[in-house]
Amino acid sequence: MIAQTLDIVTTAAILYAVATGLLLVFGVMKIINFAHGGLMTLGGYAALVTTQAGWNPWLAIPVAALFGGVAGMAIERFVVRPLYARPLDAILATWGLSIIIGQVITIAFGRGVQFTQAPLSGTLDLFGESYSAYRLALVGIAAALGLALTALLQGTRLGLETRAVIMNEDLARGLGINSALVRFLTFTLGAALAGVAGALITPLSSVDPNMGVPWLVNAFMLVLVSGASLLSLLAACLVLGGAQVLVATHFSPVLGGLTIAVLAAVILRIRPKGFARD
Amino acid sequence: MSTLRIPHRRLLMAGALAAGLLAGPALAADTVTIGIPVGLSGANSVVAPSVVQSAELAVEEINAKGGILGKKVVLEVADDASGAAGAQKAFDSLIFQKKVDVLISMETSAARNAGLPIVNRGKVPYIYTSFYEGRSCSPFMYVNAWVPDQQVAPIVDFFKKEGAKTYFLIGSDYAFGRGMLAFTKDYIEKTGGKIVGDEYAPMDATDWTAILSKVKAANPDAIITSTAGGAPNVTLTKQLRAAGIKALYGNLAVDEGTAKSMGADAEGIYISGSYFTNIDTPANKAFLAAMETKFGKDLKTPNDLSVPEYEAVYAYKAAVEKAGTTAADKVIPALAEVAVEGPRGTIVMNKQRHAPLTMYLGQVKADGSVAIMSSFKDVDPGDQCPKLK
Repeated sequence: MIAQTLDIVTTAAILYAVATGLLLVFGVMKIINFAHGGLMTLGGYAALVTTQAGWNPWLAIPVAALFGGVAGMAIERFVVRPLYARPLDAILATWGLSIIIGQVITIAFGRGVQFTQAPLSGTLDLFGESYSAYRLALVGIAAALGLALTALLQGTRLGLETRAVIMNEDLARGLGINSALVRFLTFTLGAALAGVAGALITPLSSVDPNMGVPWLVNAFMLVLVSGASLLSLLAACLVLGGAQVLVATHFSPVLGGLTIAVLAAVILRIRPKGFARD
Repeated sequence: MSTLRIPHRRLLMAGALAAGLLAGPALAADTVTIGIPVGLSGANSVVAPSVVQSAELAVEEINAKGGILGKKVVLEVADDASGAAGAQKAFDSLIFQKKVDVLISMETSAARNAGLPIVNRGKVPYIYTSFYEGRSCSPFMYVNAWVPDQQVAPIVDFFKKEGAKTYFLIGSDYAFGRGMLAFTKDYIEKTGGKIVGDEYAPMDATDWTAILSKVKAANPDAIITSTAGGAPNVTLTKQLRAAGIKALYGNLAVDEGTAKSMGADAEGIYISGSYFTNIDTPANKAFLAAMETKFGKDLKTPNDLSVPEYEAVYAYKAAVEKAGTTAADKVIPALAEVAVEGPRGTIVMNKQRHAPLTMYLGQVKADGSVAIMSSFKDVDPGDQCPKLK
């Protein structure tokens, strides 16, 4: 029972860390950034470069944020910005970009599976259950990410402007808010978060040119049912991630792999707003 | 102007050589052509270069000693993209356009199955050099690598000796994963062990959370896994170690190279195969030294998929010399009779087109090397193709 609760909480934390960047971009720009998986892969390789250079594995997180952020700036400026008025084309363009990112990484690092050093290994004893220390640490990291983003959105001028753009972009622009700048900064931040997510999953995952792909579909589904709110994303991660763990444990892991996508579709059918409150 | 200084005789020779090169295809009877359809792109692209290197060394050695029946051996490598569609093109072009005398290759099961009908139509001998799930039969095909019947027993027997009574099996949900574990399950139950869990995840799964919680709840003495190669295998191993599971851990899908690069997480894993670089025989040492000399820093570490390729080229040479011709109908029966001494020992493909093999049980050490714990001489492949002699 305790093990299962820990499975659910840590799974939700991982999903949350993976999906926040996507949610942010979706909220402000109304496009799903399909390059998110590619940017996560980039973050994973940033972690690889960091540990290969002999640096502390925790440094992989800021390094991955830098990689993702810089790539995000270039993508926003040259690919996404010209397509603002054509959101469907933007989805296609970002999908194509993720393929390009994967191929460039293949050329640079080869197709093979690479390994990074984990910042934490071993287990911790919690409620009489010995549990993976790194998964527990991820809960803290995901919570910190969520709190920092909330503080940014609720407590700063940029956050205020971002929320204004999310609510009504035309009106915000009419009030003198530079919405192009808000979009640029949001996309950069979303890309940096994707990089961080990529670095965070490397101790659980292998580093290979397709590592981001399996995460993209689940993150996409979670964002669709959460609208643009970090709080509803948290709820979605707990409910859908929890369902995934329960199905995988009590029925079959093969069905568990489908749970999030199927449940998200059902939820959207019954309640088009999903977990969003307004 | 310098060409004028070349003596006439040498010029003539150069001319003759050039004419010979131009007329190459017409003189095909003066060479023996070995076709290698292999996955240079796609899933097998990590291992394919080592397979090609093995073949190149064998051919170089054979040509240095006068070729096969006095004919020079040449290689034709074709990319099968690790899959069925690519294999059809590769087999077709090798057999019907390049008119190869034999096919010798390591491939995915999908590629092999797609290529076999073309082999049957073209009636060329085919030596398959990859371990696989077993029971693939064709009158033109021989296999010199292991099947589940040979690989599983060493690990289970060793675990039993270590006192393991309960087993948990984890696999990827596809033919090789399920086939290997179905055989493992039968074998464990036949030898008195008990299966306490048997779980499969999708082939591209990266999240093993639920399965690992079940493993912890079942608390088995030993775990045996058979996942798809690459990412699923790595993620499972990492998450299994992070979960603090201390049971004996046998992995049917990890190769020596991957185990090496996995670092600390791989330490203690038991693996079973017919080849490890640590095999302490003069033949293996000579082979490794020759590979090192030929390829230097470009050398891809020889492995259980590449070494059978090297030996199969020699098996073909021996069969052609025994038959006295490259004619397929004479070479095919001879392939079952010739013995080849190679890095993996002496191998004869005389058991229903498969070969009894010496199998090794290895354990990955902290420094990434594989220590050979024990060897099992000439393990029988069992009934693979009862309709073929």
